[in-house]
Amino acid sequence: MSAVGNLVPARFLTLTAHLVIVITIFWSRENNVEACLPLDFTQEQYDNEDTKLVVALSVTLGLFAIELAGFFSGVSMFNCSQGLLSTAAHASASVALLFFLFEQWDCEFYWWILAFCSVLPAFVEILLFIAVFGLKKKPL
Amino acid sequence: MAVSVSQMSSTPLQVLLYLNGWYFAAYFLAESLMFVFKGLMLPYPTANLTLDVVLLLLFLGLESLRIFYGWKGNLTERSLAMFVSVLILVLCAVLSVYYLLLQTFVLRLEFILNAVLLCFYSLEMLLGIMSISAFSRSKVY
Repeated sequence: MSAVGNLVPARFLTLTAHLVIVITIFWSRENNVEACLPLDFTQEQYDNEDTKLVVALSVTLGLFAIELAGFFSGVSMFNCSQGLLSTAAHASASVALLFFLFEQWDCEFYWWILAFCSVLPAFVEILLFIAVFGLKKKPL
Repeated sequence: MAVSVSQMSSTPLQVLLYLNGWYFAAYFLAESLMFVFKGLMLPYPTANLTLDVVLLLLFLGLESLRIFYGWKGNLTERSLAMFVSVLILVLCAVLSVYYLLLQTFVLRLEFILNAVLLCFYSLEMLLGIMSISAFSRSKVY
Protein backbone atom coordinates (compact mmCIF):
# COMPACT_ATOMS: atom_id res chain seq x y z
CA MET A 1 0.00 0.00 0.00
CA SER A 2 2.91 2.37 0.57
CA ALA A 3 3.83 2.10 -3.12
CA VAL A 4 0.32 3.16 -4.14
CA GLY A 5 0.44 5.87 -1.50
CA ASN A 6 3.45 7.39 -3.23
CA LEU A 7 2.20 6.83 -6.77
CA VAL A 8 -0.99 8.88 -6.37
CA PRO A 9 0.72 12.20 -5.51
CA ALA A 10 3.51 11.49 -8.02
CA ARG A 11 0.95 11.06 -10.77
CA PHE A 12 -0.94 14.18 -9.73
CA LEU A 13 2.19 16.33 -9.59
CA THR A 14 3.48 15.17 -12.99
CA LEU A 15 0.02 15.78 -14.47
CA THR A 16 0.01 19.28 -13.00
CA ALA A 17 3.54 19.97 -14.24
CA HIS A 18 2.58 18.92 -17.76
CA LEU A 19 -0.56 21.08 -17.60
CA VAL A 20 1.39 24.12 -16.39
CA ILE A 21 3.93 23.78 -19.20
CA VAL A 22 1.21 23.37 -21.84
CA ILE A 23 -0.48 26.57 -20.64
CA THR A 24 2.90 28.33 -20.71
CA ILE A 25 3.40 27.22 -24.32
CA PHE A 26 -0.07 28.53 -25.15
CA TRP A 27 1.04 31.86 -23.76
CA SER A 28 4.37 32.18 -25.54
CA ARG A 29 4.04 30.16 -28.71
CA GLU A 30 5.09 32.78 -31.31
CA ASN A 31 8.74 31.69 -31.20
CA ASN A 32 7.84 28.06 -31.81
CA VAL A 33 5.56 29.00 -34.70
CA GLU A 34 8.29 31.11 -36.32
CA ALA A 35 10.79 28.24 -35.90
CA CYS A 36 8.92 26.11 -38.46
CA LEU A 37 8.49 28.90 -41.03
CA PRO A 38 10.99 30.20 -43.61
CA LEU A 39 12.70 33.51 -42.90
CA ASP A 40 10.42 35.40 -45.28
CA PHE A 41 7.06 34.02 -44.17
CA THR A 42 3.77 35.73 -44.97
CA GLN A 43 1.06 36.51 -42.43
CA GLU A 44 -1.15 33.83 -43.96
CA GLN A 45 1.51 31.15 -43.45
CA TYR A 46 2.00 32.29 -39.86
CA ASP A 47 -1.74 32.18 -39.13
CA ASN A 48 -1.97 28.70 -40.64
CA GLU A 49 0.83 27.25 -38.50
CA ASP A 50 -0.42 29.11 -35.43
CA THR A 51 -3.88 27.59 -35.88
CA LYS A 52 -2.38 24.10 -36.13
CA LEU A 53 -0.41 24.58 -32.90
CA VAL A 54 -3.45 25.98 -31.09
CA VAL A 55 -5.48 22.95 -32.20
CA ALA A 56 -2.78 20.62 -30.91
CA LEU A 57 -2.63 22.41 -27.56
CA SER A 58 -6.43 22.39 -27.28
CA VAL A 59 -6.52 18.65 -27.98
CA THR A 60 -3.95 18.23 -25.21
CA LEU A 61 -6.17 20.13 -22.79
CA GLY A 62 -9.12 17.93 -23.78
CA LEU A 63 -7.07 14.81 -23.06
CA PHE A 64 -6.11 16.34 -19.71
CA ALA A 65 -9.80 16.72 -18.89
CA ILE A 66 -10.36 13.01 -19.62
CA GLU A 67 -7.45 11.95 -17.45
CA LEU A 68 -8.31 14.27 -14.55
CA ALA A 69 -11.92 13.04 -14.67
CA GLY A 70 -10.71 9.46 -14.36
CA PHE A 71 -8.26 10.33 -11.63
CA PHE A 72 -10.62 12.35 -9.43
CA SER A 73 -13.61 10.07 -9.91
CA GLY A 74 -11.54 7.21 -8.47
CA VAL A 75 -11.71 5.07 -11.59
CA SER A 76 -7.93 4.92 -11.92
CA MET A 77 -6.65 6.71 -8.81
CA PHE A 78 -5.42 3.50 -7.20
CA ASN A 79 -4.68 1.53 -10.36
CA CYS A 80 -0.94 0.86 -10.23
CA SER A 81 -0.48 0.18 -13.93
CA GLN A 82 -2.25 3.34 -15.04
CA GLY A 83 -0.52 5.28 -12.28
CA LEU A 84 2.91 4.20 -13.49
CA LEU A 85 2.07 4.75 -17.16
CA SER A 86 0.63 8.18 -16.46
CA THR A 87 3.51 9.28 -14.24
CA ALA A 88 6.12 8.14 -16.76
CA ALA A 89 4.28 9.67 -19.72
CA HIS A 90 3.65 13.03 -18.09
CA ALA A 91 7.15 13.27 -16.62
CA SER A 92 8.59 12.58 -20.08
CA ALA A 93 6.20 15.13 -21.57
CA SER A 94 7.27 17.74 -19.02
CA VAL A 95 10.96 17.27 -19.85
CA ALA A 96 10.35 17.19 -23.61
CA LEU A 97 8.12 20.26 -23.53
CA LEU A 98 10.67 22.19 -21.50
CA PHE A 99 13.16 21.51 -24.30
CA PHE A 100 10.45 22.46 -26.80
CA LEU A 101 9.94 25.74 -24.95
CA PHE A 102 13.54 26.75 -24.23
CA GLU A 103 15.21 25.45 -27.39
CA GLN A 104 12.34 26.77 -29.55
CA TRP A 105 11.79 23.53 -31.41
CA ASP A 106 9.73 23.28 -34.58
CA CYS A 107 6.02 23.06 -33.99
CA GLU A 108 5.90 19.72 -35.84
CA PHE A 109 7.66 18.10 -32.87
CA TYR A 110 4.70 18.92 -30.67
CA TRP A 111 2.53 16.34 -32.43
CA TRP A 112 4.96 13.55 -31.53
CA ILE A 113 5.01 14.61 -27.88
CA LEU A 114 1.20 14.77 -27.96
CA ALA A 115 0.90 11.29 -29.50
CA PHE A 116 3.18 9.49 -27.05
CA CYS A 117 2.71 11.42 -23.82
CA SER A 118 -0.92 12.58 -23.86
CA VAL A 119 -2.87 10.25 -26.13
CA LEU A 120 -1.52 7.02 -24.64
CA PRO A 121 -2.51 7.60 -20.96
CA ALA A 122 -5.82 9.15 -22.02
CA PHE A 123 -6.55 6.13 -24.22
CA VAL A 124 -5.85 3.73 -21.35
CA GLU A 125 -8.03 5.95 -19.16
CA ILE A 126 -10.93 5.56 -21.58
CA LEU A 127 -10.42 1.78 -21.56
CA LEU A 128 -10.57 1.83 -17.76
CA PHE A 129 -13.76 3.91 -17.89
CA ILE A 130 -15.30 1.29 -20.17
CA ALA A 131 -14.11 -1.53 -17.91
CA VAL A 132 -15.39 0.07 -14.69
CA PHE A 133 -18.69 1.54 -15.86
CA GLY A 134 -19.48 -0.75 -18.77
CA LEU A 135 -18.20 -4.13 -17.64
CA LYS A 136 -18.73 -3.44 -13.91
CA LYS A 137 -15.20 -4.36 -12.90
CA LYS A 138 -13.68 -3.10 -9.67
CA PRO A 139 -11.58 0.04 -10.23
CA LEU A 140 -8.24 -1.47 -9.18
CA MET B 1 -30.29 1.75 22.38
CA ALA B 2 -27.88 1.68 19.49
CA VAL B 3 -28.18 4.72 17.28
CA SER B 4 -26.78 4.24 13.80
CA VAL B 5 -25.41 7.47 12.39
CA SER B 6 -24.31 7.60 8.77
CA GLN B 7 -20.78 8.69 7.97
CA MET B 8 -20.61 12.38 7.15
CA SER B 9 -16.94 12.86 6.28
CA SER B 10 -16.45 14.17 2.78
CA THR B 11 -14.26 11.95 0.60
CA PRO B 12 -13.80 14.56 -2.17
CA LEU B 13 -12.66 17.07 0.44
CA GLN B 14 -10.18 14.56 1.86
CA VAL B 15 -8.79 13.87 -1.61
CA LEU B 16 -8.41 17.59 -2.29
CA LEU B 17 -6.68 18.25 1.04
CA TYR B 18 -4.26 15.38 0.48
CA LEU B 19 -3.33 16.46 -3.04
CA ASN B 20 -3.24 20.11 -2.00
CA GLY B 21 -0.58 19.26 0.59
CA TRP B 22 1.62 17.74 -2.11
CA TYR B 23 0.84 20.53 -4.54
CA PHE B 24 1.75 23.20 -2.01
CA ALA B 25 5.08 21.48 -1.32
CA ALA B 26 5.88 21.68 -5.04
CA TYR B 27 4.54 25.25 -5.14
CA PHE B 28 6.75 26.34 -2.23
CA LEU B 29 9.82 24.81 -3.86
CA ALA B 30 9.05 26.48 -7.19
CA GLU B 31 8.41 29.86 -5.56
CA SER B 32 11.64 29.66 -3.56
CA LEU B 33 13.64 28.92 -6.70
CA MET B 34 11.86 31.71 -8.57
CA PHE B 35 12.71 34.19 -5.81
CA VAL B 36 16.36 33.16 -6.05
CA PHE B 37 16.16 33.71 -9.81
CA LYS B 38 14.43 37.07 -9.50
CA GLY B 39 16.78 38.24 -6.75
CA LEU B 40 19.82 37.49 -8.91
CA MET B 41 18.58 38.44 -12.37
CA LEU B 42 16.14 41.32 -11.85
CA PRO B 43 16.56 44.69 -10.11
CA TYR B 44 14.55 43.55 -7.08
CA PRO B 45 14.57 46.11 -4.22
CA THR B 46 15.86 44.44 -1.06
CA ALA B 47 12.91 45.57 1.05
CA ASN B 48 10.39 44.15 -1.42
CA LEU B 49 12.29 40.88 -1.73
CA THR B 50 12.46 40.50 2.05
CA LEU B 51 8.74 41.18 2.37
CA ASP B 52 7.85 38.65 -0.33
CA VAL B 53 10.05 35.93 1.16
CA VAL B 54 8.68 36.52 4.68
CA LEU B 55 5.13 36.36 3.31
CA LEU B 56 6.01 33.09 1.58
CA LEU B 57 7.14 31.60 4.90
CA LEU B 58 3.94 32.89 6.52
CA PHE B 59 2.01 31.29 3.67
CA LEU B 60 3.73 27.97 4.39
CA GLY B 61 2.78 28.14 8.07
CA LEU B 62 -0.84 29.08 7.40
CA GLU B 63 -1.21 26.41 4.73
CA SER B 64 0.16 23.68 6.99
CA LEU B 65 -2.18 24.79 9.78
CA ARG B 66 -5.17 24.94 7.45
CA ILE B 67 -4.60 21.50 5.94
CA PHE B 68 -4.11 19.99 9.40
CA TYR B 69 -7.35 21.50 10.73
CA GLY B 70 -9.24 20.59 7.57
CA TRP B 71 -7.95 17.03 7.74
CA LYS B 72 -8.73 16.70 11.45
CA GLY B 73 -12.13 18.37 11.18
CA ASN B 74 -13.22 16.26 8.24
CA LEU B 75 -12.10 12.92 9.63
CA THR B 76 -13.45 13.50 13.15
CA GLU B 77 -16.58 15.32 11.88
CA ARG B 78 -16.10 18.40 14.04
CA SER B 79 -17.62 21.68 12.90
CA LEU B 80 -15.21 23.87 14.86
CA ALA B 81 -12.00 22.49 13.34
CA MET B 82 -13.50 22.68 9.87
CA PHE B 83 -14.63 26.25 10.53
CA VAL B 84 -11.09 27.22 11.58
CA SER B 85 -9.84 25.59 8.38
CA VAL B 86 -12.21 27.62 6.20
CA LEU B 87 -11.25 30.81 8.05
CA ILE B 88 -7.54 30.25 7.43
CA LEU B 89 -8.42 29.38 3.83
CA VAL B 90 -9.54 32.98 3.33
CA LEU B 91 -6.15 34.24 4.52
CA CYS B 92 -4.37 31.78 2.22
CA ALA B 93 -6.52 32.91 -0.70
CA VAL B 94 -5.57 36.54 0.01
CA LEU B 95 -1.88 35.60 -0.01
CA SER B 96 -2.34 33.63 -3.22
CA VAL B 97 -3.98 36.63 -4.91
CA TYR B 98 -1.08 38.77 -3.67
CA TYR B 99 1.40 36.45 -5.37
CA LEU B 100 -0.81 36.30 -8.45
CA LEU B 101 -1.17 40.05 -9.01
CA LEU B 102 0.63 42.30 -6.52
CA GLN B 103 4.25 41.12 -6.39
CA THR B 104 7.04 43.36 -7.62
CA PHE B 105 7.74 40.95 -10.51
CA VAL B 106 5.18 38.30 -11.50
CA LEU B 107 6.43 35.55 -13.81
CA ARG B 108 4.05 33.66 -16.10
CA LEU B 109 4.83 30.44 -14.26
CA GLU B 110 3.82 32.08 -10.98
CA PHE B 111 0.58 33.25 -12.55
CA ILE B 112 -0.34 29.71 -13.66
CA LEU B 113 0.73 28.08 -10.38
CA ASN B 114 -1.36 30.52 -8.36
CA ALA B 115 -4.35 30.08 -10.67
CA VAL B 116 -4.24 26.31 -10.07
CA LEU B 117 -3.91 26.91 -6.34
CA LEU B 118 -6.96 29.20 -6.36
CA CYS B 119 -8.93 26.45 -8.14
CA PHE B 120 -8.02 24.16 -5.25
CA TYR B 121 -9.13 26.80 -2.76
CA SER B 122 -12.48 27.38 -4.49
CA LEU B 123 -13.35 23.68 -4.42
CA GLU B 124 -12.19 23.27 -0.82
CA MET B 125 -14.13 26.34 0.31
CA LEU B 126 -17.30 24.95 -1.24
CA LEU B 127 -16.82 21.43 0.14
CA GLY B 128 -15.73 22.80 3.51
CA ILE B 129 -18.87 24.88 3.95
CA MET B 130 -21.02 21.90 2.90
CA SER B 131 -19.17 19.75 5.44
CA ILE B 132 -19.68 22.29 8.23
CA SER B 133 -23.42 22.37 7.59
CA ALA B 134 -23.57 18.56 7.41
CA PHE B 135 -21.67 18.17 10.69
CA SER B 136 -23.75 20.83 12.45
CA ARG B 137 -27.12 19.65 11.20
CA SER B 138 -27.18 16.17 12.68
CA LYS B 139 -26.15 16.22 16.31
CA VAL B 140 -26.87 13.07 18.30
CA TYR B 141 -27.50 13.53 22.02
